[in-house]
Amino acid sequence: MNAPVSDIVRPLADVPFYQPVAEECTLFEAAWRQQLPVLIKGPTGCGKTRFVAHMAARLSLPLFTVSCHDDLTAADLVGRHLIGAGQTVWCDGPLTRAVREGGICYLDEVVEARKDTTVVLHPLTDDRRILPIERTGEELVAPPGFMLVVSYNPGYQHVLKTLKPSTRQRFVALSFDFPAPEVELPVLMSETGIDAGRARQLVVLAGQLRRLQGYDLEESVSTRLLVYAAKLMMAGLPPGLACRTAIVEPLSDDVDTVAALLAVVDTQFDQG
Amino acid sequence: MEDIVGGWWDRLITRVAYQGHPEAAVTLAEVERTAPVFFRAMGGDAALTVRSAVGTEHGARRRWLERIAGTGDRVELAWQDARSLYLPDVIDHFPDRALNRQLYFWLMALAAEARAGTDWLTANREATARCLMQMPGLAALYRRLVAAHLKTRPDPARLHGAEAAWEEAIRAALASPNETSALPAGQAACQPVPLWLHPTPPLSGQAEAVPRQDGEAEAEEAARREARKRRRYRAQRVAEDTRKNGMLMVFRAESLFTWDEYVKVNRHNDEDEEDNAAAADDMNRLSVSADATTRASRLRFDLDLPAAAYDDTPLGPGLLLPEWHWKQRRLVEDHVRLVPMLPRDARPAGLPERLRAPARRLRRQFQALAPERTRRRGESSGPDIDLDRVVRFLAECGSGVRVGEPGLYQSWPPGERSLACLLLADLSLSTESWVGDAGQVIDVIRDSLLLFGEALSATGDAFGVYGFSSIRRQEVRFQVLKDFSERFDDTVRGRMLAIRPGYYTRMGAAIRQATRVLESQPAHRRLLLIVSDGKPNDLDHYEGRYGVEDTRMAVREARAAGLLPFCVTVDSEAGEYLPYLFGRNGYTVVTNVRRLPQVLTSLYATLTR
Repeated sequence: MNAPVSDIVRPLADVPFYQPVAEECTLFEAAWRQQLPVLIKGPTGCGKTRFVAHMAARLSLPLFTVSCHDDLTAADLVGRHLIGAGQTVWCDGPLTRAVREGGICYLDEVVEARKDTTVVLHPLTDDRRILPIERTGEELVAPPGFMLVVSYNPGYQHVLKTLKPSTRQRFVALSFDFPAPEVELPVLMSETGIDAGRARQLVVLAGQLRRLQGYDLEESVSTRLLVYAAKLMMAGLPPGLACRTAIVEPLSDDVDTVAALLAVVDTQFDQG
Repeated sequence: MEDIVGGWWDRLITRVAYQGHPEAAVTLAEVERTAPVFFRAMGGDAALTVRSAVGTEHGARRRWLERIAGTGDRVELAWQDARSLYLPDVIDHFPDRALNRQLYFWLMALAAEARAGTDWLTANREATARCLMQMPGLAALYRRLVAAHLKTRPDPARLHGAEAAWEEAIRAALASPNETSALPAGQAACQPVPLWLHPTPPLSGQAEAVPRQDGEAEAEEAARREARKRRRYRAQRVAEDTRKNGMLMVFRAESLFTWDEYVKVNRHNDEDEEDNAAAADDMNRLSVSADATTRASRLRFDLDLPAAAYDDTPLGPGLLLPEWHWKQRRLVEDHVRLVPMLPRDARPAGLPERLRAPARRLRRQFQALAPERTRRRGESSGPDIDLDRVVRFLAECGSGVRVGEPGLYQSWPPGERSLACLLLADLSLSTESWVGDAGQVIDVIRDSLLLFGEALSATGDAFGVYGFSSIRRQEVRFQVLKDFSERFDDTVRGRMLAIRPGYYTRMGAAIRQATRVLESQPAHRRLLLIVSDGKPNDLDHYEGRYGVEDTRMAVREARAAGLLPFCVTVDSEAGEYLPYLFGRNGYTVVTNVRRLPQVLTSLYATLTR
């Protein structure tokens, strides 16, 4: 368990690309070593999911991702009986599989799940680290490799959909935000192969648009949208059109706001 | 005859001498809606509003034709002060319409980059350089603007002395903003540069009008000195607020002591308004009115206390509630008397005709919202098979232990949302103010309450609607419009139609009472929606910090009681104090008051989804 980092950490070549912004990789690894569950919060498209995939690959752990939604039940996480050939077959859910195999179970947008569902996580997140499976009568003890990671976007204005304090307090929390320009630039270039000049223009454009967050836009342009715009440009589309399709239109439906955003795009990519 | 010929001549020579391109003109109104968003994106101060600039004298040499016509001595340039960004009302410098429009955007980008400190030319040149460096798209536009503008500038070879030197310097700065150059010696009035910000922005009317306690005299004196020094350029926009009418007092003049201070009153003008506007255009300086606060606070008394016979019907002697004293940091028990009331003259009434269509639409929408899908297992009938039970049943059959008739189905009956919502509306006198052609704020609130009731009765959620206003701590008037136990029927609608604005906003007490009412509801989740139009205030010391702190404490108590307080406000300045009262995600500001009904209902839908 306390092996030096170099033994466990895989060479970066096989790992999904992730550009660390601060100490999050070190923190995540430390949490995994100490068997602590992690809560990641941050706006849409800032790299939460990519970060988890990256860390799972770096630590050579299998990753089980569950995208949470309103109808997600505890059985969807833990598992259920299915009818096989004349008999019933127990089928593990993603959470159970992660516990059995000692991997990372990642619950994306966990606030979307019903409150009773998140309660099954409680015994896994304290020092017991057990998963009682009521239907089979099993009680799984999580191996040292197992780690629970949940994420959510705190930006939504939704008073009834937040994590219960009793659930929140079981996690160590990392807060993510859009990366600084000097970090976002290499991300764009390595994700899409776009040249440095246009990547810089995109990053500066993102900075301009992010100033509007909270005033004119509910949520501003994500790194993911910038990557889309860069990909469209790499496919040969004119930059103005690429930005309109990948950045402006997804951000707003309001005609005036769209017009203003297009004017902002024009300050980076002149359309003549 | 002289008049007529003179008028013809004036029109003719003005048109001939005019240098702009009116056929390609772009007005501020055309870009007004996109301008604030763009300016903020450029990094401009988010608190600034966009306003139109007035022409100021530039004092530079005019062409002989312009001198004959007596025009061309004023120019509209952009500038910003602590409150607003001023942009020209019309731009028609260039024959190309698109270029004129883009000049607006260039000016906004430049204004966002502008830093105070250096002289006019250097400041503009440096701001330009910063813009061009960060925004390549803008750089291309800038080159087109400069090329078009340089054509209209005078030829330095035909100018003399300092004038020529300045013209050369401006041309150089326009053409290559990245190169520093020495300022030319001497003073000269240069031809205005529409691509740059105003060389000597007019004093801000607002900044001056803000009364200051400390050093007020010095500041005013300084402003006056400034004004004398650069008087030639002064012109100032005075916007009279037509919504705030001065108080009309019927009195015998001799019974009133003389006031030696200027009191601002909007008097009706008999003269022709257009003449006034023309005269104002020609004036170099319009008078500044710094006024009002001291007078306002002294002149506040209850002119609006109704006679008992016309007052609302009180229900019982009232309840005593505590209030938070922030200086003593303690809850003062039994400090406020709250009186539940029914609106007087409330007769059962149907929904007003104009609200029927939106109400029908809302009912349909909210009916769809009502049944939350909750699965019920082990039903004897239902649309789905309960797989777990079937499996167990088959297993039990296989093992030979037969157990009765099991329920093998799942169903989704209309679930109990178990949600209770209390809507608390501010009915203070400030809601009497007008919002354009939408009528008064109170009308919008009334419509909102009615539509909200329609929508919520469609969901089947428990809800109550209350209103409040206050006259000191002795009387907080808590209007019971719809109790939780009542049905939403014509009696309730009649009460909502009968609400009238009056008095002040002692929000803390109202929230405490609402908390008590809502606490007694058995629902699982309880939402306390507060509709307000301004800060908490009342006649006694319940204003400013005291009111805010008490309200904040009341909100915290509500939260501690397990309720979810949420505030919807129509006060555009609410961003200053609501985060402190309700938390960052605990409120929303409705910028367009007319949309309050839609916002309120859609908010309920999203908040409780």
